[in-house]
Amino acid sequence: MTNDTTKPEVPARRIFLRNIGRGAACAGAVAGAGLIAGAHGADTPATPASDGQSFPAPGYDWNAHRWAFAVDATKCIGCLRCVEACKKENHVALDAHHFRTWVERYAYLEGEEKPHVDSMPDPVNIQAAGSEEKYRFANRYKDAKVEKAFFVPKLCNHCTHPACVQVCPTGATYKTRDGFVLIDHKYCIGCQYCVQACPYGARFFNHAKGVTDKCTWCYHRVTRGLMPACVEVCPVQARMFGDLNDPKSVVSLFIRNNRVQVLKPETGNAPNVYYIGLDKEVV
Amino acid sequence: METLFQAAPFSGYVYPNETVIPWSVLIVVYPYLTGLVAGSFTVSSLFHVFGMEQFRPVSRFAMLLALCLMVCVPMPLLLHLGHPERAFNAMITPHLTSAFAIFGYAASFYTLLLLVENWFVFRPQIVQIANEGTGPLRWICRVLSLGSNDLSEHAMHYDHKWIYALAVIGIPAALGLHGYVGFVFGSLKSREWWSSDLMPPVFLLSAVISGTSLVILLYVITSLARKVPIEESCIKGLVYTLWGFLMFALLLEGVEFASLLYRSREGIETIMTYVTGRLVVPFFVLQLGLGSLVPLLTLSFLIVRGVKGRALIGAACASALLVLFAVLMMRWNVVIGGQEISKTGKGLVTYEPEWFGREGLLAAGSVLCMPMILMFLATRIVTPWAEESRAALLRGRAAS
Amino acid sequence: MPKHISRLLLLMAAFVVAALAAKAFFTVNSFYRYGHYRADSVPEIAAMAPSFQTPKACASCHAPRLAEWTGGHHKTVICEVCHGALPGHPEALKATIPTDTVSLCTQCHEKMPGRPDSIRQVDVSQHHPSGQCISCHNPHAPKIGTAIPVTPAALHAAASNAAACAACHGANGMATSDIWPNLAGQNAAYIARSLGAFKTGGRVEPTMSPMAQAVADEDVPALAAYFAAMSCRTPTGKHGSGNAAAGKTLAKQCAACHGENGRPVNSAWPRLSGQNAAYLVSAITAFRDGQRKNPFMSEAARGLGDNDIANLASYFAGLPCGIETH
Repeated sequence: MTNDTTKPEVPARRIFLRNIGRGAACAGAVAGAGLIAGAHGADTPATPASDGQSFPAPGYDWNAHRWAFAVDATKCIGCLRCVEACKKENHVALDAHHFRTWVERYAYLEGEEKPHVDSMPDPVNIQAAGSEEKYRFANRYKDAKVEKAFFVPKLCNHCTHPACVQVCPTGATYKTRDGFVLIDHKYCIGCQYCVQACPYGARFFNHAKGVTDKCTWCYHRVTRGLMPACVEVCPVQARMFGDLNDPKSVVSLFIRNNRVQVLKPETGNAPNVYYIGLDKEVV
Repeated sequence: METLFQAAPFSGYVYPNETVIPWSVLIVVYPYLTGLVAGSFTVSSLFHVFGMEQFRPVSRFAMLLALCLMVCVPMPLLLHLGHPERAFNAMITPHLTSAFAIFGYAASFYTLLLLVENWFVFRPQIVQIANEGTGPLRWICRVLSLGSNDLSEHAMHYDHKWIYALAVIGIPAALGLHGYVGFVFGSLKSREWWSSDLMPPVFLLSAVISGTSLVILLYVITSLARKVPIEESCIKGLVYTLWGFLMFALLLEGVEFASLLYRSREGIETIMTYVTGRLVVPFFVLQLGLGSLVPLLTLSFLIVRGVKGRALIGAACASALLVLFAVLMMRWNVVIGGQEISKTGKGLVTYEPEWFGREGLLAAGSVLCMPMILMFLATRIVTPWAEESRAALLRGRAAS
Repeated sequence: MPKHISRLLLLMAAFVVAALAAKAFFTVNSFYRYGHYRADSVPEIAAMAPSFQTPKACASCHAPRLAEWTGGHHKTVICEVCHGALPGHPEALKATIPTDTVSLCTQCHEKMPGRPDSIRQVDVSQHHPSGQCISCHNPHAPKIGTAIPVTPAALHAAASNAAACAACHGANGMATSDIWPNLAGQNAAYIARSLGAFKTGGRVEPTMSPMAQAVADEDVPALAAYFAAMSCRTPTGKHGSGNAAAGKTLAKQCAACHGENGRPVNSAWPRLSGQNAAYLVSAITAFRDGQRKNPFMSEAARGLGDNDIANLASYFAGLPCGIETH
């Protein structure tokens, strides 16, 4: 006795359409119920943040600020104090493969069109530093004929349209009212989709905690009225941080007084780290 | 101190955080499995929806296979996640702009669909075991039968309508389930190797050919094991299906690759270094040459020359095996290849998979074996083959 | 409808309801409040304790040093760059005083292609290759010969402050007894540093500690400049009981910091020429025996016998003090 499909009495077309309709209704009901239950206003805030209490820190109102970062790459000396300081301040793993901020060196040698680019994970630099826990650029071009060379500090751009936030499946990474893109280490499932999505390579997997991690512009310092650690320690003040809502802040003035650039503008991410001193080959 | 991660060697300039490769071989296995699900389901639908008689012999088998594969689909993801215990966060608070968030709902929906469909297909057997079986299996089947042993004409009529409807819904559901995987890669703007509108169709088509190939292989192997004659018309139908979809898949993959090279965006030199270097063996030799062109030519020969009998079956199996291998290589070349080309466009990283460990080759291999083990266990309980009479089944059970 | 179908539909409906209920139940409280994320996460991140304290935290105890630093070229290099992050200092953490200054300083100052000319760079192999950077450069005010700028009004005020010092150090900066140091013409930066050390307890002396604490932080630079501006007079006659000639031989190893003729290049180090021999003996002995601690002096004084110390003291005491030419 076979129990495979027997042709019904009703015309096949009607059955087909009826079933399509039922199927769609079922699927629609499930999806609709799910969406209604889940879509608590999607990405638009349901509650205004200023409910009388200062949020997220005492004496700090995140509605009042719009922070941005600026880098004068013409000043950077590649001393890597910023890299050391960030690792210390934010308890980042002390190795040459996880960085919240780093510096790139571009060196054009005589007769060559493309620059040599190196950064912290380069074995030559690790050797010059002595171990993966310390950071130093090896003076590898001191005997070479260098036409042009410069350093470019890099960090998370805290984009206005962050690709990483877009792809996060859970809502563990998000953009705050005051312009920071942060990661909720208690909610992240560690899928690393955001690591893939970031065009700047700013994100990485924190193997100790099983979640992703990245530069936070030292949120814990900014909300206390301090500057990010890398900005504080830069001995030549190549890094700047300030409030775009304040027209006299160092960053507002920097943007107004200079022809500034951002990295990879074609991505449409609208990054918020403004550079001067970039070069055609800087990625 | 035990190293928590593996640092990848690199050449040229890569971003410091790229020296640890985020997605391992497990993320190669995951789309492979969902692809096999979509593919076997497609084969099953060819009979259940489109009424193509030549696929009747394998239709229930393919349905059961799809279920066994689907159940294993979350495994590679859970092994990869930093916090697998929080995996449900993506379903509790799904971020609807993320393709990954769709996974939880699409996969759950599809798993339920396959469960219900298989339940309908195998319900007569479940009811029979519930009535006449022995031991704990009888009680399990009594629960599974939902307390009903109605196998009347009227009941079977409803069953058939449900099977049909679910198979119909299952087609777009499978397209969504596997198409979104292609979208996960194709929608990213950070990697030139992945960023393409053609990714979802490429993934879907290679899914269909992998599923079809798996059905061919398993049909032949199980028929030989059961010492039962193989329906040549079924093999022929499967060969035609594989052939057609393989051509289509190759076309789209070729167009995607050609577009990438033609556009020659910034960073193309590094991509060319990669394509003419490290990628030569996995892509040109294994995926394209051995895995695609050889089966394509073989299948073309089989069809054009009207080959029959053992030659047909043997050549079909060989082609199926090569296609299965090719699709695995395709997943590898997309997932791993994309990560080996740095986002800087100035460097290359090298993925060196580990053997042991949560994300190692052995773990990936075990995940790939799991569906076969589940199929084996499932077929001890129900039989997906129509020609075995129920009496013979009972006799066999009583004897064991 | 056959009962298995109706039961299946019921089961499916129950499943959907259960799933939706679970979704609502497991959604954490603060999620969706401000957007698609857990609102509680924001203050959690903001609550992490900072590590770097920044110089304004150093001001309360290290004012003279801070004044020296803000007046120098390293004023953009915060203290923790060289001394390390200091959360919980001083209760929970001692600051490190870097010893390998070559490695530390060259991190910024090694001549390297790519470094802009705005930073002073040296070729390490050519620039005093065998010594430490701080032999010549005051790390807090690295320009050679840097003194702390002091206003005339402050100097005037310092004169009245200095009245209390006269009992031991003399009205003209020449000590009233051989056991106390002459301050006239001593390096201003060194005087300021010593006063600072007495104030904070880095250096302990029963008389000086309360005297130093009585001086306000902001008066220290002026007081130091006041004494530094005084003319020193080389004492005539026998300088202590040691053999100056033997001391001269020993003193070769002191020259790296204290200069060839007892007048150091770096104004953070004390001028030894024309200093009271008995004071020098007690100072070097204190370094040797651990009553005074200084990473360089403790090392330098180790292994010196009492005779050696007496010889050294006599040698330096006999050197002409003069006025520094740089």
